[in-house]
Amino acid sequence: MMSHRARGARAVVIAIAAGSLALTGCSKNEGGKSGRDSKKDQKEAAVQSKAVTYVDAAGSTGPAKDVPGAKPGGTITIYQEAGLSHLDPAQIYVSDAGQVANLLFRRLTQFQEDDKGNVSVVGDLATDSGKSSDGGKTWTFTLKDGIKDENGNPITSADVRHTVERQYAKFIFDGPTYLQTWLSGADYRKALPGGGFDGKHLPASVLDTPDDKTVVFHFDQARPDLPQTLAMAGYAVVPAKGDTKEGYEKKPVATGPYKIAENKPGKTLKMVKNTNWDPKTDSVRHQYVDGFTIQFGVTESTQTKRLIADKGENRNAIQLTNGVEATQIQDVVNNPEASKRTVKGYQPYVMTLAFNLDRVKDKKVREAITYAVNSKSLIAGEGGAYGGDVAPNYFAPTLPGYEASYDPYGRLKTPQGNIAKAKETLKDVPAGEKKIVFAYPNSEAGQKRKVAIEDALTKVGIDVVAKEVDSASYYEQIGKLDNPYDAYITGWGQDWPSPGTVVTPIYDGTQVFDGSANYSHVKDPKVDALIKKALTQNPTDAAKTWKEAHHYLLENVIPAAPLWYTKQFQISGSNVGGARYGSVSSLIDINRLYLKS
Amino acid sequence: MTSPIDIEGGGASVVVDGAPGPETKSEPVKLAGRSPGQLMWLRFKRDRTGVICAVVVIGYFVVALLAPLLVKLSGTDPYTLYGQDPTYADKPVLDEFGLPLGYLGGVSGDHWFGVEPQYGRDLYAMLLYGMRTSLYMALGITVLIMVTGILIGLIGGYFGGRTDYWIGRGTDFFLSFPQQLFFIAFMPVVTSFFVNPREETPTYFRALAMLIVLWLLGWMGMARLVRSTVLSLREREFVEAAKVSGASPWRIVRKEILPNVVTPILVQFTYQLPSTILSIAFLSFAGVGFVEPTPDWGRLFAAGARYAEQDPAFMFFPGVALVIFVLCFNLLGDSVRDAFDPKSGR
Repeated sequence: MMSHRARGARAVVIAIAAGSLALTGCSKNEGGKSGRDSKKDQKEAAVQSKAVTYVDAAGSTGPAKDVPGAKPGGTITIYQEAGLSHLDPAQIYVSDAGQVANLLFRRLTQFQEDDKGNVSVVGDLATDSGKSSDGGKTWTFTLKDGIKDENGNPITSADVRHTVERQYAKFIFDGPTYLQTWLSGADYRKALPGGGFDGKHLPASVLDTPDDKTVVFHFDQARPDLPQTLAMAGYAVVPAKGDTKEGYEKKPVATGPYKIAENKPGKTLKMVKNTNWDPKTDSVRHQYVDGFTIQFGVTESTQTKRLIADKGENRNAIQLTNGVEATQIQDVVNNPEASKRTVKGYQPYVMTLAFNLDRVKDKKVREAITYAVNSKSLIAGEGGAYGGDVAPNYFAPTLPGYEASYDPYGRLKTPQGNIAKAKETLKDVPAGEKKIVFAYPNSEAGQKRKVAIEDALTKVGIDVVAKEVDSASYYEQIGKLDNPYDAYITGWGQDWPSPGTVVTPIYDGTQVFDGSANYSHVKDPKVDALIKKALTQNPTDAAKTWKEAHHYLLENVIPAAPLWYTKQFQISGSNVGGARYGSVSSLIDINRLYLKS
Repeated sequence: MTSPIDIEGGGASVVVDGAPGPETKSEPVKLAGRSPGQLMWLRFKRDRTGVICAVVVIGYFVVALLAPLLVKLSGTDPYTLYGQDPTYADKPVLDEFGLPLGYLGGVSGDHWFGVEPQYGRDLYAMLLYGMRTSLYMALGITVLIMVTGILIGLIGGYFGGRTDYWIGRGTDFFLSFPQQLFFIAFMPVVTSFFVNPREETPTYFRALAMLIVLWLLGWMGMARLVRSTVLSLREREFVEAAKVSGASPWRIVRKEILPNVVTPILVQFTYQLPSTILSIAFLSFAGVGFVEPTPDWGRLFAAGARYAEQDPAFMFFPGVALVIFVLCFNLLGDSVRDAFDPKSGR
């Protein structure tokens, strides 16, 4: 019996030791201020929301202005949790691949930012940001001299034509579709089923290449946003020579300052200097470091820990699209040394609780829910003030036309929900219409969000039926037109700084189909008319029209309850120089980076 | 394995209940006849660790059962978001990062164990309710697994031959299912089959589904263990004696063999129950078990791991409760086994 008792006693000692270990980690939390003033943040974001300017040939000539103190040499390590979605430029629509594309691929035009965050469009492969004629229906681009791909082949107008035409092929399915639909209509694939590979090309009345240096686009209506569209990574040039169709995902031909040296999908991606890139032709990109190595599979939490610790190789490391993990934000903020190494700003995404208008037909119910939702508890799950801000309307602070004080539902005053007002709105609504089926992705974060939504809506007397949806296919499920749900949380961000890339995809009545981003199924003739009008107007007039559409949507249609604006908060190693927040990518500006030693 | 016919100092057969024992000798020396159960109880009472652990384990079950009453004492409930609810705005419990204010994860008169980060739900109430969910689910599943395993193992082991062969292949068949993967793949299908897509999946449905799947895919280990023990017992003299004297197979199984497999059953039980708690927690985590806001002990502990550095107290209370429970449960199992079969101890 003795041995038995001794063993029991030992176990108790171990339990106490484990407990005291945990206790030493505790001290009083006095409620450290995050020091984050959202008004100040929004002022900073105001530059982001300025309309972009189009720059002439002089501003588009390289080399790019030197980053103060920049030195050549060294290799920067990049951490990323999940593998890249795509490497074929035409398939790139997501920011992880988009950030890598900034190093690898050139387009006809590109965005340039100054130190204050003002954004302009300059020519990249083209000499300037494009010349429009015929009232904006025709756009002409002239290619620069001395531009070559990584194999030394010069890039001609035929390569640009090939880039556009291969977007019509079936194997391109994940990229942006703006240019194709503008050129050949919504059913664009029928216009060129072979994607240009079979020798058939688009007619010269649509896409013309009169000589080796000139590319002309003809549209059926004015397309004032074209230079910004062409600056998307999805329209980066794919030289006709070396296009391996589906195989291009593995080994794309680089045109930018870096090229792929080794690609192990999901593990590492090594990039080295592209010697055929001529800095004199590029007014934005730099080639300071010898290369970049992306390490995939490093979790956000591990990245943050490594970068806070800042030891060895981590001193040369940055994050690709991941940020500081939500639970560790205060560790970074309360550490002045680590805090200096961060970049922060708004992301373009507005998170909303979208209503399925085919099912939630009573406007009173939608209005009440918009009053009732608790943005603050949802933001707490994103890491508090550094993770997000209360959204009073549908336009993000990064969008031209953003109105900080446009708040018809008093969201800023009562971010935790205006219960009294919501209850009053629901007073005359029959009980049968108060049942809301809320779909959520069945992940840890999704379940947490469900708790917040359920809690807020139940309080005002709405009968919430929460349905879990497989988190991998969440957007696919809620994107189905006949989905059985009433409400779901969705987020959308601009493709370039114009409300046209926000209002059109998510509120245009002609975009109601399976898999479309119009998750609310908004079909409102007035909205449609305003969208049509704004798309052909010059930016100043268009801004007014977009504003009208925005106000009409939020006050009269209520297709969604605005919840929060997402924010970016990234940290880099102490040896990385030139780090700043890039307004266009909403990530660290990867083209300026250098190593201090 | 101690031979069951070894007669202890007490004079009674350890396990062969009802077999002709010393009590039949009507000698003038009054030997108080004690049944094996009484002997076990006597020995168990002498083992202080065992008694303490029994009290603790029973205490856990009582506390879990009385959770709704106990949270009335603190005046909290596991569903209110104390940190985010505007009604509680006058009593802030979270800072701007969503972490608890004050000492030890926000321990205060209102929140005895502090509050959960992000939402500020009361940890005391969450833990009590979570224990209720986890303990009684695990108990139910473990008991079902035990009963099924013992029954199938006994039948296979005792009858042998063809019966054993077919039961053995059946066991192999069930063993070949990857339990948790099966559940993850299976649960959404079952749900969509039985539950209207516009109605919430009821919590009892989730509980029942977990119970059935964990039971159907969990009994095999027990069955194999019992079978192997029974196989060796079957050939022993006391069983043959019973056979010769014309006892029915049912009686032999019940009275001669079953009491001899109590030890492995107990060991298996004490190890199965905590591991079932963890299985349930994993399923909750994989999104096919209980979902938020149904409190769950295992998930509470797992969620605590995320905040281990920023708010260690959040893991401390559920963690310590779990450590004490598992420890006591295992020690209790040891003690009970020792009491049944003192010679098998160290």
